[in-house]
Amino acid sequence: MNFDPLTAAARGLARCHSCGQTGEVEAGHCSVCAAPLHLRKPASLQRTVALTLGATLLYFPANLLPVLRIESSIKGGQENTILSGVVRFWQDGDYPVALIIFTASVVIPILKVLAIIALCLAARSGRFPQAMTRLYRMTEYIGRWSMVDVFVVAILVGVVQLGSVMRIEPGGGALAFASVVILTMLAARSFDPRLIWDAAAARGHIVTTDIDPELAGASNAASPASHA
Amino acid sequence: MGSPVFSLYLACPDCDGLYTAPELPEGDRVVCPRCQAHLVTRRADFVSRATALVLAAALFFVLANLFPFMTLKADYRESDMLLAGSVTGLEQQGFPILTGMVGMFMLVAPALVIGALLYLLLPLRNGRRLRGALHVCRAMEEARRWNMIEVYLLGVLVSLLKLEKLATLTLGVSFWAFVGLIVCLAFAVSIVDPAELWKKLEEAQP
Repeated sequence: MNFDPLTAAARGLARCHSCGQTGEVEAGHCSVCAAPLHLRKPASLQRTVALTLGATLLYFPANLLPVLRIESSIKGGQENTILSGVVRFWQDGDYPVALIIFTASVVIPILKVLAIIALCLAARSGRFPQAMTRLYRMTEYIGRWSMVDVFVVAILVGVVQLGSVMRIEPGGGALAFASVVILTMLAARSFDPRLIWDAAAARGHIVTTDIDPELAGASNAASPASHA
Repeated sequence: MGSPVFSLYLACPDCDGLYTAPELPEGDRVVCPRCQAHLVTRRADFVSRATALVLAAALFFVLANLFPFMTLKADYRESDMLLAGSVTGLEQQGFPILTGMVGMFMLVAPALVIGALLYLLLPLRNGRRLRGALHVCRAMEEARRWNMIEVYLLGVLVSLLKLEKLATLTLGVSFWAFVGLIVCLAFAVSIVDPAELWKKLEEAQP
């Protein structure tokens, strides 16, 4: 595999987001799968910021409104928000469950928004392109796991239909929280990590010829970049 | 077509590095030397291996929807929940949007991935592609992002612990079929490299 000192964009080429083949951007469409071809994701930063802002705003009702309402003839009614649910598990001694819900519903969404902010800043400054690209891939992967609390609500509502003994209803917080997760997933997806490398190259943080020539120019068999 | 651009170059999706497309032996994986993004994996005979896994996943999907998923026992009462029960329950409580979201992530998206993969892979074994294969392949890529069955499984485990003190929950046949579905579909999807699948579709006879 040979390394080209120019980026794909510098040659007017781009990887098709749909099929992964390299195409000429001038053609407008990928020659293999006919998906629209762009040098960079269109309006990437604007979309990412707008979606993140929306998610941040919805994060408040998601935490303030109840996600679950339990009405039991023995214990009476009780409403759980995400946080009060975590606290209840913790008090009951269910530490693993409390930790899972706390991580998925509180820690991950907050870290995700912070990560997206850091990525947008990096797309401007071009600092730490390698670490930031890794952060981008992590952000894209981890977002879906926040949905676990919404599924718990759906399962509890579905399974508990004991009529007079106990009833479980979803609350508005569940809808708000599901929307937060969807918006942050879309935000991570509209971010284009290549912008970080563009900025890094423009500000001289990386020089393309810096790349280890052994890595870049070596043949398949010898290259640590490809292995069986 | 002469020598089309896509067969000459390999571009990195994450850092835009450009490489002359390597002739890869089967089984090799190429990682971007600059940012470690996965570029392409060539797997020996991925079409038949993935077909077998997707067929198994389709069977598990049907089984997971036919039998009780969980059974709740409390005070001499028993109620069964089907896999779809976590969607219909929300609907009955008057949450149409939430119903749509949950149904999309745990039922529709996996069904679409399975259906699309079968539509693409079965004819590919004979070197053919069916009408609309390009659109189906794009739809499959999209459905893959929204398929959250493994997250749902974690939700099931949390629910078990949550209801432990209020009632007895037992897992039904469909739960185990669902676990099988997750495993088979995850393997199938990881075997099918999008770039390789598109290359095969491009070569196939319409």
